Amino acid sequence: MSKASMLSLVVVLLLLAVVSSSIYVIDERQVGIKLQFGEIVKTDIQPGWHFKWPLVQNVKKFDARILTLDSRPERFLTVGKKFVIVDSFVKWRIEDVRAYYKATAGNRWQATTLLSNSTNKGLRDEFAARSLTEVVSGERDQLMADITATLNEQTLPEFGIRVLDVRVKGIDLPEDLSKNVYRRMSTEREREARETRSQGMELAEGIRADADRQKTIIVAEAYRDAERIRGEGDATAASVYAEAFNRDREFYSFTRSLKAYTDTFQGKDDVLLLQPGSDFFRYMNSTQSK
Amino acid sequence: MAWNEPGGNRNDKDPWGNNGGGKNQGPPDLDEAIKQMMNKINALFGSGSGGQGGSGKGSSQGSGGVFALAFVLLAIFLVWKSVYTIDEQQRGIVLQLGEYSRTLEPGLRFVIPVVEKVIPVNVTSVREAELRQEMLTQDENVVEVELNVQYTVSDPIAFALRVEDPERSLRHAAESALRHEVGSTNLNPIMTDGRPLLAQNVRSRLQDYMDLYKTGINVSIVNVKEARAPAAVQAAFDDVQKANLDKERFVNEAEAYANTVVPEARGRAQRMLEEANAYKEQVIAQAQGEADRFKKLLVEYKKAPEVTRERLYLDALSKVYSSSSKVLVDMEGGNNIMYLPLDKIVSNTGSSAARPEEEQNVSDIADRVIEELRSRNTRTTVREGR
Repeated sequence: MSKASMLSLVVVLLLLAVVSSSIYVIDERQVGIKLQFGEIVKTDIQPGWHFKWPLVQNVKKFDARILTLDSRPERFLTVGKKFVIVDSFVKWRIEDVRAYYKATAGNRWQATTLLSNSTNKGLRDEFAARSLTEVVSGERDQLMADITATLNEQTLPEFGIRVLDVRVKGIDLPEDLSKNVYRRMSTEREREARETRSQGMELAEGIRADADRQKTIIVAEAYRDAERIRGEGDATAASVYAEAFNRDREFYSFTRSLKAYTDTFQGKDDVLLLQPGSDFFRYMNSTQSK
Repeated sequence: MAWNEPGGNRNDKDPWGNNGGGKNQGPPDLDEAIKQMMNKINALFGSGSGGQGGSGKGSSQGSGGVFALAFVLLAIFLVWKSVYTIDEQQRGIVLQLGEYSRTLEPGLRFVIPVVEKVIPVNVTSVREAELRQEMLTQDENVVEVELNVQYTVSDPIAFALRVEDPERSLRHAAESALRHEVGSTNLNPIMTDGRPLLAQNVRSRLQDYMDLYKTGINVSIVNVKEARAPAAVQAAFDDVQKANLDKERFVNEAEAYANTVVPEARGRAQRMLEEANAYKEQVIAQAQGEADRFKKLLVEYKKAPEVTRERLYLDALSKVYSSSSKVLVDMEGGNNIMYLPLDKIVSNTGSSAARPEEEQNVSDIADRVIEELRSRNTRTTVREGR
């Protein structure tokens, strides 16, 4: 009884082994091919579970997703004899599984190497036909489209690989060139800084000059007005004097002279040498009226 | 990594290694479980009924019990494997024997154990990627840009199944998009006010790439956090900033100067005008005063001209003589007066002038001078007489 049960267990296990080696599952993310004694009998096996003959048939599975090839930065020459260091990546997927298996034996590393070589060649050719400015800026989209198209012409029939996109992650200048760029940038900034400062001085000088002009004009106009006012005053005064003094010109001279005398001789420092003959000293030497 | 999202701990996380999925999972687990159970049961029987010794009978009874227990445990295991909690943040991608069958919404969900496999994908959390690179601009300058990309998973099926390492794809694509956009912009806009536009362009370009690569990623925000000159030329760029400040300073200083000079000039002008006006008023008032005085005097003068005239004359002269030094020379046409020590007389009078209370001294001095002159005069006359 124990032997029978052991036997049944062995049979069950054997059956399980046979079934498990004859049923295989292709994941949603995979694509498979079926080989019979090394010969491809079925390609493009879709996700799900499938049968195969155990031992006789063999199944290889490949990644069906969009894959990334991240190549190392490479030096390329552009039209202007400028070296640039280009860092790129390629988006690809396996389209023709049969061709892919033939070219690479399903080895991803080998596929990557093949693709990387083709990409570099394509990039080198395209860069060689363009100037640095074109590469750096506007034409990059066109450049990438061209490279993608050229690559597909080769990789699709030869490797079964569909290249979706080639993109440049980075274009850098080699050290000596970038030093030149830095120097140019520095001098440009210097120029800008100098210009800015000079503009500042220009503006400042203008403002100062304008202020000085205003000052001069204000003062001059004030002087003009002041003189005019003084003149008015003088004129009025003159007419007042004239009106009054014209009434008796002789008496005016008399009084004005007296005033002038008193105004002129006011200090002890003025020394008068007098002769007693004047009217003032009329009574100095005699009491008699003369 | 998408397969390492929280909540997926019950699941088979490895996207690569376990190709067989459900099929491979079954048998080894079963074997192991049976083996474990056998061990446990053997140990149990060994301690409990080992002493009785009926090995054949014991083993047959034991194997029956072993199978029953194994089935129970297997059933528990399968039920446990068939229940899934999908978090509110997640969607569960169900692969049925490798083939995509459905997507699980949040909540308690059931799957067919062993046959079906669940890949949970977080679709609501905002993920971030940071980039920081030096790159060339269109005008062949070098700029260092720091970029922050925020994204969510909009299509969990594509994210989990269609592309290898979607987040690495995003990084690469972001680098490429940023380089491209920076490469088609000049340095100045990037450094100054062109950043929002740059970010917007990078975002739309990046989204195009993401759609092309079928990553199922939705790029929500792209921020250009910083764009600055490389360290090697930073000093020059700083100097430009300083120059701008200098420019402002120059202008401010000049304006300060203008703001002092012009009002000062206005003040001075005001003063000049005020002074002129004052002069005018003064001159006119003086004129009027003097004129009026003259007119008043004239009226009285007309009444008694002789007397008034003489009085005015004497008044004026007395005022003049009283306030100044004087020398009275009572002689006729003599030249010898020139030898008088005038300076002495004046200095005497000068010193006496310092003391106004001695004003009467002036007349004394005058008297003395007159006497002196007179005595000399007599002497001369005497001499003449000889």
